[in-house]
Formats: sequence, structure tokens, C-alpha cells
Amino acid sequence: MLEVREIRFGYAEPVLRGVSFDVSNKEMLVVLGPNGSGKSTLLKIIVRVLQPESGRVMLDGRDLSEMPRRQTARLIGYVAQDATTRFPLTVMEYVLQGRFAQGRLIGFESEEDLREATRAMEMTETSEFSSRFVGELSGGERQRVMLARALASRPRLLVLDEPVANLDISHQVKMLDLVKQLTQAADISAIVVTHELNLAAEFASRIMLMKSGELLALGQPREVLTENRLRALYGTELLVDENPVSGAPRITICKSREP
Amino acid sequence: MTATTTNRIQKRMLVRERLTLRRLTVTLVALLVILLLFAIIALTVGSERIGLDVILKIIAPRLTGGTENIPAEQVSIIADIRLPRVLMAVVVGAALSVAGAAFQALLRNPLADPGILGISAGSALGAIAATIFTESIPVSRPLAAFISAVITMAIVYAIGQGRRGASTDRLILAGVIVNAFLSSGVIYLVTASGSRQRSVFSWLIGDLGGEPGLLPIVAALIAFGIFIIFINARSLNLLMTGEQEALALGVEVKRVQISVYVAASLITGAAVAVGGAIGFVGLIIPHAVRLAGGSDNRLVIPGSALGGAAFLLFADTLARTVIAPRELHIGVITALIGAPAFVYLLRRTS
Repeated sequence: MLEVREIRFGYAEPVLRGVSFDVSNKEMLVVLGPNGSGKSTLLKIIVRVLQPESGRVMLDGRDLSEMPRRQTARLIGYVAQDATTRFPLTVMEYVLQGRFAQGRLIGFESEEDLREATRAMEMTETSEFSSRFVGELSGGERQRVMLARALASRPRLLVLDEPVANLDISHQVKMLDLVKQLTQAADISAIVVTHELNLAAEFASRIMLMKSGELLALGQPREVLTENRLRALYGTELLVDENPVSGAPRITICKSREP
Repeated sequence: MTATTTNRIQKRMLVRERLTLRRLTVTLVALLVILLLFAIIALTVGSERIGLDVILKIIAPRLTGGTENIPAEQVSIIADIRLPRVLMAVVVGAALSVAGAAFQALLRNPLADPGILGISAGSALGAIAATIFTESIPVSRPLAAFISAVITMAIVYAIGQGRRGASTDRLILAGVIVNAFLSSGVIYLVTASGSRQRSVFSWLIGDLGGEPGLLPIVAALIAFGIFIIFINARSLNLLMTGEQEALALGVEVKRVQISVYVAASLITGAAVAVGGAIGFVGLIIPHAVRLAGGSDNRLVIPGSALGGAAFLLFADTLARTVIAPRELHIGVITALIGAPAFVYLLRRTS
């Protein structure tokens, strides 16, 4: 469904050095890697916030850079790292922003826009605070509202940048569970960047490990999350065994014993 | 069961969830009524109190049966002095507050305003230079004010540009610094302007009665600029929550930014050219509109136009009546109201 080919990008130093991978239909691909490995940059290139120096991103066989921005926006729902606004914006207004690419540039939202926004809010269980201000929400509520905005356009692909950072474990599990369900139920795929290794192991269809702008490994959680690889990648003492309930890899941090 | 349903429906009606056409219409009509009320007061009061019936006869002689019975002096006061001044206050007030609303949305900061960003000082500098050096060319002042507004915005943007794009706080700081620098330039030129010092100075801090001859061109420029900003209102709504997110949601960010920056600089320049650097209008009016009707720019922009027009008209009427027969400068009134409002805003948003 999504094909990413040889993406290169850099400011003064290269950030991405030729990254290629595919995401298939109904897949939830989780991207892991240390800070500065280029994960967020990669997501921003996929959603066309940044333009790569070279390389291509294709969605359902069509090159994204060749289509109008509004069309890309209809196909891809993006949740950035954090949304803060200094203006008093209601949740409903915020979620309706997700319909911008469908609507007219001038004028009011259509009945369909309202229906889709309501549907997205029901899916993310945010309907009850539709008239509250986004700035007044708790971290967990705000993450769900951001997801609702991304879902309002009925996208083919969800691109989520650290959707569970700042959430407690209950909200982390609920959020990733929801994304997983979405990919199962509708024709949606998802790319999720996170630092939560254990959650990634639990929820990902496949995991992609990144290291200094390059793809280090890509595959089933069991194949990718091996002890030696993670130890070397993060430079941290850790232990990988099996989650007794799910059978997924389980990563345990071992406090390094410095003299 | 039914009780909770009705409860919910009632709640939904009371609570504002989003901007609807109904709410937009109600708010704009209310603002228009206030504006008309202020306009009537402004036309009535002054050195000579003139009744509404007389005013109507003078403004619309064909509809109301001519001005034969009215003293020529009264006709002249209304037609040549008060009416042009009212219209000037309306267009300048509308321009400054829409420019404020536009800069606030672009910079994602409710504290932005053409004055704080240095745009007004830049226009004023250009306008004063034009007044001193190219006095003979008729439209040189508005032209110079507009060009220097655009240049000032470009400079502020260049200074505010960090390694990862222009952050909104950096832009505000850059504006403050540019403003301080250009204001010194303005003071220098005023001091050096010799015999014209008094008139240049009085224009600078706000004088709407100065040049009624420029009204048509200034009004046309301002109407055009507000129109450009208004048609970008939906895009500005998305830009308000973040540039990158707006891109991902399908906004042609660069195109919207450039057209709105230029349009906002244009109307600031036009307003400054005739009214001088009147501060704080662009700050408090959009905020008041947002408090009353929400943050949607489809309301904030036309609402600020009407609200700003009404506010400046009110301030101007005060300015010319409180210490009559002498006049206060309108900038004094707007600053007296605006500075405390700014402090209040600062405490609320941070």
C-alpha cells in the first residue's frame, strides 16, 4: 500500500540516508530507534510536511509528490508530537479541521463533514467533550482528540508521532489498542513512532528499527527485538525474554552497575 | 431518559461547539448595530449639536427632501468634517484590527499586533520620510507607508527565522526590537523635520481629521486587503494550530502566509498613512471578538472589522469631546484602554 523508496534528507548533517520500506494493507508498523535517529523526520516526509532531497513515497501506486496537497491530506491522517494552541478552540472545531481537504476553501462545513467528525469522535470516545476547549483537556483526552482529527477524513493511512508519550499505562494501552482495532476493522494502515519497546512488541504487526538515519532492522517483533541488537542500538544493559501472557518479546531494563 | 435527552439538547444549544451561519450572522448584525449607534453619536456631538433628522437630510438629500432649510454651516460641519472623519475612523479601525487578527493567526500568538511587531512603526517611518522628502507627489504617503510595512514585515521575519524555521516567540521578540529601532528613526525624522514638526507629530500619534482627500483610495485598499484575508479564513484556522499540521491537513501554507502577510501589511500601511500609528486596536478587538464568539477566523475577521471600526469611532469621539474645544490624540485613548488590556491578555495566555 505504502512504498517508501530511498528517502534522503538532511539539514547540515544527513538525517535520513536512504530509507526504503513498504507498509501493507491493515498493517500497524511501529518505528523504534534512539533519539535523533530520524523517525519523526521520516514521518514528516511521508505526510509531506518536509520535502526529501531524493527518494519517493508512493501510496496505492501513486507518487505523493505529484498530487495536490489536499489529496494527500485526504489519504493520510497525521498526528504530530504535541498540539498546543494558545487560542480557545473547541474540540469540535479542532476535529472539523480534519475535514479541511474535503470541504470548500470558503464557507461552512457540510452535513457530511459534521457526520464524519462526529463519527471520528465516537470512535475515539471524545464526543462528550466536543464543546470543551482543546487547551483545557488532559494529556490522554488531547491525544484522542488529535487522533479524531486525523480520522475525520477517513484516511487510508494513519501516521502517528509518539501518540503515547505523556500518557499513563492505561491510556497508552487504550490508544494503541484503538489504532490496532482501526487497522483491523477498516482498510487503514498505520505507522506509529514510539519509544515504548514493550508496547511496540505487544501491538505491532511489524517493527522497524532505525539508527542514525538508516534502517537497522525490519520484521516481526520477535525477529527484530533481540537482546544483542537492542543492547548495541541503545547502549543500555537490557534483557529480552518472553511475555508470559502474550508470548511477545519482553524487554527488561537492567540498571548498569557502574563502579 | 427523556429528561436527560432534553437536558443534553439544551446543553448543546447553550454551549457553543462550533461556528454556525446563525451565530456568525447574529454576531455580525449585533456589531453592525453598535457601529451604527456610535456613528450616529459621532455625527451628533461636537462643537455644535446637530440632530439626527438634520444629519439624515444632509447625508441623503435626495431621499429626505433636500437641505434647503438647513444652515449652510451645519451642512458643512456634517458633510466636510464629521462624516469624512467618521468614515476614516471606520476604515482605519477595521484595518488595524483585521491586521491584528491576521498577524495573530499567522504567528499563532494572540499577543501579535501591527504595533507590537513594528509594522506600524515601519509604515510611519516610510510615511514621514515621504511627507518630508516627496511632498509634491499626491499618493506618495500611503504608497510609502505600504511599501515600508511590507519591508518591515520581511525584516521581522528574517530576524525571527531560527535554524528550524521562524518560531512564534522569536518573531514577536524580533518585532519588539524592530519596533524599538524604527521608533527611534521616526523620532529622529520628526525632530529633524523642522517647521513641520508639529503637524508630523500630531499625525504620528493619531489624527483622523487630517486628510479626508485620501479617504477613497485608502478605503478601497483596506476593503481589498480585508477581502483577501477573509477568503483565507479557513486556512488561517488550521495555521493557528501549527504550520506543520496545517501542511499535513492540506493547506497550501506558503501561499496563504504570503498573501495574508502582504494583505495585512497593505491594510496596516494604508491605515497608518492616514491615521498615524494608533496602537493596541489590533490587539484588543480580535481578542474581544474571540471571547464573544469563538476563535473561528470566519467570524474573527469580519467581526474584528466591524468591532475595530466601532471601537476607533468611539475612541475618536471621546478624543474630540472630553477636553473640547481642544482635542486629545486618539492614540492616547487607545493606549489608555489598550495597555491594561494587553497586561490582562498576557496574564491569561501565559
